[in-house]
Amino acid sequence: MNLTSPNFMMKKSTPFIFSLLFLVFLQPVSHASSVLQTKGDFQDKFRQLDEVLPTPNDYRNAAGEPGKEYWQQQVDYKIDAVLDEPNRRISANQTITYHNKSPYKLSYLWVQLEQNRFSPDSVAERSVAFAGIGRRGPGTRAKEGDSPAGISLGELRRQQFYEDVEIGYTISNVVDAQGQALPHIINGAQMRIDLPTSLESGQSFEFNLDFAYNILEENAVRARSGYEHFPDDAREGGNDIFLLAQWFPRVAAYSDYEAWHNKEFLGRGEFTLEFGDYDVKMTVPADHILTSTGVLQNADDVLSSLQQRRLKEAENAERPVFVVTADEALDNESSASTDSKTWHFKAENVRDFAWSSSRKFMWDAKGHHQPGSEQPLVMAMSFFPKEGGELWRKYSTESVIHAMEVYNRFTFDYPYPVSISVNGPVGGMEYPMITFNGPRTDLQDDKSRTYTLAEKRFLLGVVIHEVGHNYFPMIVNSDERQWTWMDEGLNSFLDAIAGREWDPEIPWGVEPRDVVDYMKSDVQVPIMTQSDSILKLGPNSYTKPAVALTILRETILGRELFDFAFKEYSRRWMNKRPTPSDFFRTMEEASGVDLDWFWHGWFYTTDHVDISIDKVSLLQLDTQNPDIDFDRRRQEENDKPEPRFEELNRQEGRATWIELNGDVRDFHDENDRFTVTNKERNEYLQSLEDMEIWERKALERAVREDKNYYVAEFSNIGGLVMPILLEITFEDGTTQSQVLPAEIWRRSPNNVSRLIVTPKRKLISSIEVDPRWDTADVDVDNNHYPRKIIESRIEAFKREKREGMEYRDIMQDSKTERESPKPKERRK
Amino acid sequence: MAKVLVLALLVSGSLAAHQQKEAYTTVLFNERGDTLEVQHRFYLHDAEHALKARTGESVDLTLDASSQQRFADYLLSHFRLQIAGQELSLNEVGFEVEGKYFWVYQETNLPQGIKSLKVAMSALQEVWQSQINHINVERKGRVSSARLGSKDGLTEIRLEP
Repeated sequence: MNLTSPNFMMKKSTPFIFSLLFLVFLQPVSHASSVLQTKGDFQDKFRQLDEVLPTPNDYRNAAGEPGKEYWQQQVDYKIDAVLDEPNRRISANQTITYHNKSPYKLSYLWVQLEQNRFSPDSVAERSVAFAGIGRRGPGTRAKEGDSPAGISLGELRRQQFYEDVEIGYTISNVVDAQGQALPHIINGAQMRIDLPTSLESGQSFEFNLDFAYNILEENAVRARSGYEHFPDDAREGGNDIFLLAQWFPRVAAYSDYEAWHNKEFLGRGEFTLEFGDYDVKMTVPADHILTSTGVLQNADDVLSSLQQRRLKEAENAERPVFVVTADEALDNESSASTDSKTWHFKAENVRDFAWSSSRKFMWDAKGHHQPGSEQPLVMAMSFFPKEGGELWRKYSTESVIHAMEVYNRFTFDYPYPVSISVNGPVGGMEYPMITFNGPRTDLQDDKSRTYTLAEKRFLLGVVIHEVGHNYFPMIVNSDERQWTWMDEGLNSFLDAIAGREWDPEIPWGVEPRDVVDYMKSDVQVPIMTQSDSILKLGPNSYTKPAVALTILRETILGRELFDFAFKEYSRRWMNKRPTPSDFFRTMEEASGVDLDWFWHGWFYTTDHVDISIDKVSLLQLDTQNPDIDFDRRRQEENDKPEPRFEELNRQEGRATWIELNGDVRDFHDENDRFTVTNKERNEYLQSLEDMEIWERKALERAVREDKNYYVAEFSNIGGLVMPILLEITFEDGTTQSQVLPAEIWRRSPNNVSRLIVTPKRKLISSIEVDPRWDTADVDVDNNHYPRKIIESRIEAFKREKREGMEYRDIMQDSKTERESPKPKERRK
Repeated sequence: MAKVLVLALLVSGSLAAHQQKEAYTTVLFNERGDTLEVQHRFYLHDAEHALKARTGESVDLTLDASSQQRFADYLLSHFRLQIAGQELSLNEVGFEVEGKYFWVYQETNLPQGIKSLKVAMSALQEVWQSQINHINVERKGRVSSARLGSKDGLTEIRLEP
């Protein structure tokens, strides 16, 4: 260890005060445009967010909770829909009742027509760049060098689907409750309905409209919903799974902070709507099994008595019970009924409504009990085709329940009567009470269905994640179109907990270290970026905020403070509409910890974490006692390496003059320059006499204890201020952890030093920053003092090729026939 | 009238969504080892679905060594590194599965006096248009990056001095 030994200075004028001098150049620059540091380049990483966050008001207050005048609109829907299976078309009429609970009067309503987002003339479609990043779905490639431009078969399929199928809504009969036509204008994926008279605060307005549209083929268009066709099923013409979402015209949100949320859907920023009550009838082929948001109102009409008995049995079952078995689903697959059934569902106080229908579905169910809750029984259910196989039979419904158990702990009890997982063509998508999840099994030549560990992890992860979206944003109703991280980030944070609590051995990839490659790069945007403008949605809106919250919980606040504050946020905004400032303020107010620096660094900048420990110096207390200090100086001198000149002369046998002339000696030959005289002793004694009593006692104690004073110097290379997590290793082999709070950087954001005092015999051998990789520090090479050689990933790979048990090909090896040992040939 | 260009057909990726559709390639100037190291990190789940899209066969990249080799070969065939107009020849070091990632490693001798390089990484982009291959070039603790979408091709990355 390379510890230098400058003396610890003791100033006479202000004796015994540690006087480490930090050369700090205070050159403040604020991140807020309204407050500018116009000289120098100091960055105040701890500047309060006062100018950044909106001014608190009576609708949402300074504590981050709904204000005393908080309001939100309510929209109720009554829909009667018919699925025309042969033509894959939905036709419906709907009655919408809009309750104006705002303090303002409204002269028009904005309605979202999300199916129009897929129309060829929509902004979303017309703004897709060739070979660019624009939408979900199949790809194109620009010409590059000798490689021709490319277009995928998937893109051709999409274009051909667009040619063959008319896309978007047919809207008609827009009338008020008295049947009077309402003036309206459709602009892309939005419709403005002009009201006959202004809708005053506290009034409601009822109107009707008819709509119809051709259902998109999800695998051709990528629309978060649609149909999937199974041509190989026994039924002539095959079968479909229908996932219906964003399927009906929905009134846009109207809020205190944005008024009408009428930013058109471009395909990425998802949805926010008003809460309301739904009464929906869906008429589908009689051999279909249908599932949806809400509670079934006419079980006797659509379910057999056997199915109803099985459902009842499932309420207290230990494992999921089949309401529709695999064999029954297979029978249904080949059915050719021309009859239809109407399924009637109601849902209260939800912000959207989705459903699914197919004759391919198995259906299993298991009751999840929440004693003492407003919703003591939740039916967890899964609907899946044979293609879901064992993977779905074993894990879908169980992971629905696991998600609720974990999320309830961190938020509030799941408030809905059902929680549903449906397997269809959508990889993962969420709606109130119902989620669409994509994992499938593979059919092998021997007709068995298998799945990989990655596919299993996908199923567990996606079901937990999508069920988790019931909490964020279906219940805590943040605006996904504006701030994707508010639901995806918070939800990813919690699904990482749920995943690890399911089985920590499954590599979930949710640790802080998993985001460093993204955070170190110089091509990214802050988390606080509107969804459609984000460059990389996954790491920006899912992983980075999830990691930030993990660090906030595990490293900065601790679980007790964090969990209380997070739960407080969830409860405050349950069934209400929070904004980022409400989250930031609640977390800070409920934890009692200033976190403005954290929100600023992680959410408003693209800084990353890279804290380097640059140097550690061992300092020694200057006792002023010449009999102690002069001897130490002598020892320091003796400890210096012998000059090369002297060493070589000695090796040559060259004697010095004084060695050759030993008879000539004087006082200086007998007393070196560190010899103490009474002059120094008298000065020392006089200085003791001049001290205050407390000063003398402090000095005497310090001299007696003779502790080690180390100064560790750190630099903040990444720019993101964070706590400094230290692991100190002593020469006796013991270790000690220390956490220096982030506030250590507040007046010196680029470099800081820290005094570490240890007992006399407790000598430090090394110090490591962030030894457990808790902070997403992107460069661990500079985390050690003294420096260690850190192998690159490839060097480590070359040194030790992984040979763990998980690298055996047990799937292949398990086919090995058992053999008797071959007799060994023995020779005498 | 514009010149008519060839429009090639790409493999279709019409499988289930929810892939991450992102991958990371790190080009590390390892001065201590005197090597230029390249490591590619892809999500296993993405990789399995991509291989299925390309071959029609299901694969298990966690366990099946031949599929791992196939995917590694595929990745490397879609990666190019150019310095001063010259294609850099990289040696394959190996590949491994760790956690939910599939890693592939390459290396070559450390080039000197480099101010910029050009890189192309088009793996999976013919499968999914939205696949982003993120490149970090690290030298002396400094990082220069590029996000390569399907339109980007060979892209210059200027290195921090």
